[in-house]
Amino acid sequence: MSTEEDENAAELKIADEFLKAKCLMNCEVALILDRRLEQLQQMSDDSTNQMSQVFEKSHQYVKRFSRYKNQDAVKQVREILSRNQLAEFELCVLGNLGPETVEEAIAMVPSLKTKGRALEDDAIEKMLNDLSLIKKFE
Amino acid sequence: MGIGSTLGEAVGYDYLGGLMFYQLLGLRFTLFHLLLTHISIKGMVFLEVEMKGNVVVPPDQLDPKGLLLRKGIILRLLEDIASRKASKDHGYYIAVTSLNSIAEGQVQELTGNVVFPVSFNCITQKPCKGEIMVGTVDKVLRHGIFLKAGPTENIFLSEKKMEDYKFSMTEEPMFVNDKQQSKMEKGSKVRFRVLGIKWMEWDRGFQMLATLAGDFLGPI
Repeated sequence: MSTEEDENAAELKIADEFLKAKCLMNCEVALILDRRLEQLQQMSDDSTNQMSQVFEKSHQYVKRFSRYKNQDAVKQVREILSRNQLAEFELCVLGNLGPETVEEAIAMVPSLKTKGRALEDDAIEKMLNDLSLIKKFE
Repeated sequence: MGIGSTLGEAVGYDYLGGLMFYQLLGLRFTLFHLLLTHISIKGMVFLEVEMKGNVVVPPDQLDPKGLLLRKGIILRLLEDIASRKASKDHGYYIAVTSLNSIAEGQVQELTGNVVFPVSFNCITQKPCKGEIMVGTVDKVLRHGIFLKAGPTENIFLSEKKMEDYKFSMTEEPMFVNDKQQSKMEKGSKVRFRVLGIKWMEWDRGFQMLATLAGDFLGPI
């Protein structure tokens, strides 16, 4: 395990395990937590007792900061982002923050332009355009 | 993606094995003790992680009418995760999404406890230094702003880390940028970079420092 100092999201210097883990976008978490809440309400009568503070705060947060609300849109977003050989972490940051320009995308995820694999600006722009189309027609 | 799987569906055959074992004992458990294996995961985005744990069931908690085992296990697991709240290595535990398996239990000779290894998926979130994220303004003070983002509260954005913004106290306290005509007040959404993180053991949570130094950061 690397030390805290070695880890820096901006340079994509993060523990190996993290690169392999399944990252989720806020909108995906919102769908999962909605469902979870429903299940719990069915399972026990006093669902309020089962809800931890962490769950509630996270649920509120993802509802507020989800850029895409409906399930199909969320699926499409992941599909578009995963066409571009992004790390899971990069994919989720882009999906969550929803940058509008190439410049902004690179400022949000500097590792898009490092690590020697440098995504073309055109490819990034196409990706952002596709995303904004989904947002528009959702 | 975990959306489609439910706790009930996911338990499967291993659950049956566990149930038969219980029926042999003619007992039922209530106490659920979980030992998570060590996984190190970084990043503030939400993660779905498979975790392994042990369920320790003391013999006096076992009971012949043990048919609600599965429900019991699920509820205890959820309760356990809720009370655990967070850890330094995993970050915040937000929700268990599926119980993948319950392996056959083993009796501990000295205590008579029964230990069930279980495997489940859990959504976690751990803040990571350098990451850009969004949060909501919670409190505005003269020296800076407190933000919250999901389970992480106490994210401090110092006045010194947002140079173009000046404190203003008209009706409501807020930070204003005259050049860009933008402001941050209670309830505003702000995009910021994580400057530093500290694990607070007494609170079982993280404290963070934020900065607006960088392009495209600030209120959105």
